[in-house]
Amino acid sequence: MRIIKLILGDIHFQFKYGFYFIYILFSALYVFLLFIFPETWREKAVSIMIYSDPAAMGLFFMGAIVLLEKSQRVLNALAVSPVKAIEYVIAKTISLMLISVLVSLVLAFVAGLRNIPEVLLATALTSMIFTLLGLIAATKINSLNQYIIMTAPLELICFIPPAIYLFVPSVIMQWYPLNGSMALISNSSRNPLRDITMLLIVIICLFMIAQRATMKMWKSLGGVKL
Amino acid sequence: MLTVKNLSFSYSKKPFITCMNFHVERGEIFGFLGPSGAGKTTLQKILTGLITTYDGSVKLDGIECKEHDNHFYENIGVDFEYSTMYEKLTARQNLEFFSSLYAKQTVKIDEILADIGLQNDADKKVSDYSKGMKSRLNFLKALLHDPNILFLDEPTSGLDPANSQLMKDMILQQKAKGKTIFLTTHNMADATELCDRVAFIVNGGIKALDSPHNLIMRKGAAKVLYTYYDKHERLGECLLSQISEDNVLANLMKENRILSIHSSEPTLNDIFIEVTGRTLQ
Ligand SMILES: Nc1ncnc2c1ncn2[C@@H]1O[C@H](COP(=O)(O)OP(=O)(O)OP(=O)(O)O)[C@@H](O)[C@H]1O
Ligand SMILES: [Mg+2]
Repeated sequence: MRIIKLILGDIHFQFKYGFYFIYILFSALYVFLLFIFPETWREKAVSIMIYSDPAAMGLFFMGAIVLLEKSQRVLNALAVSPVKAIEYVIAKTISLMLISVLVSLVLAFVAGLRNIPEVLLATALTSMIFTLLGLIAATKINSLNQYIIMTAPLELICFIPPAIYLFVPSVIMQWYPLNGSMALISNSSRNPLRDITMLLIVIICLFMIAQRATMKMWKSLGGVKL
Repeated sequence: MLTVKNLSFSYSKKPFITCMNFHVERGEIFGFLGPSGAGKTTLQKILTGLITTYDGSVKLDGIECKEHDNHFYENIGVDFEYSTMYEKLTARQNLEFFSSLYAKQTVKIDEILADIGLQNDADKKVSDYSKGMKSRLNFLKALLHDPNILFLDEPTSGLDPANSQLMKDMILQQKAKGKTIFLTTHNMADATELCDRVAFIVNGGIKALDSPHNLIMRKGAAKVLYTYYDKHERLGECLLSQISEDNVLANLMKENRILSIHSSEPTLNDIFIEVTGRTLQ
């Protein structure tokens, strides 16, 4: 199966470039922070950490990964291989999702959360949203600076509302898909099925956009502005 | 195998490739020659489906290049003019990864690494490779899935003579297996040695297209050049086919006074300069 090979290839690549090492460092830092926080803060703190980890990491790493592939011209090699754009997108998304879920499992376990399956599911879905957003942004840029400028507003949109929602769970705000993710992680979802469905719909839309963006990026490798 | 009809393409508004026509048979080694910036790589990008905004028709193995699906690539191998490897992975890891993306995985990675002389560097990171090692590795990447059509963009550039010979032998082996091979090079000796036919590309157009032999023959006969001493050093010249009629040379020979003598056949180099020089005026 080509898709499995692609995922394994991406994991190998991420490992070689030290992404796993950085994740381990951050996890250790998070665990340390959890222990120095007072007991009463711990639950909210761990929710923010679990939510923000794929947010900060997935979004940022995806830019780094695609830029590295661009600069080493690996994308040219992939563009003349039988790999389909959607397979490329899936492999990137799944490979980063696996790390996010792993980190979140450690954090949830250390914090003694009881809704671990829900947390893991929410992490997986949230991670996909962030990596897909990152991938879409990364297909359009050529330097890390451009990438940071482009993703800064994304980080705000994705990060501020759920953080507010965690403390002030207003009724209107529950329709914002990423707030659903925060609700699932913090075990405060009013309607888990609806929250999961909302996230899935966002993911499907982003997959379609990411596939198009990837195709466009591959087609522009020939040097023609489209 | 390849039919190009009325192909036109440009990166910008200014016309570049205009109304190009040619045909390549199965099993041929076909060379693209021409000065830097002439459009050789551009043409390869069109043939390999990386540029899809051309006009006219380009049919590779029956498939219109701009309408290809991903299956198209199971059958073609591309060696770019630059490295396309994951720098932090080893050569072997790179080849294993790229090989795993294809349906056909019959080529033994260790064997081809040995064929090109990289067996002892297979577990080095690509970032630690020299330029020539990288070109050889990239060439191998094109062979991984045993494709029927190969595109090689300056495969021997940056190689020492021994490695260049290894690679040329491998290219000829591929031809012997019935592969069709498209090749660009700036090395006229390589082109003469390898190519069944060559096209001279100048400013996006084909200025000459024939076998190297025919092109050379058309250029004219072989000459004999000799030097001798007569007050100061002098140069004599005659056609090889009329050597017996050159009395100066005959006398010099009788008197053992020739300082140097050599015959020179026209080469593809001369053709290159003629074909490309004329358009520079
Ligand atoms: N990505 C691109 N965008 C715009 N113009 C390009 C692009 N790539 C090439 N060109 C232009 O197209 C022309 C042909 O370039 P091409 O790379 O095909 O030359 P080439 O014959 O392969 O040269 P060389 O022998 O140096 O490799 C050049 O004038 C070049 O500036
Ligand atoms: Mg070129």
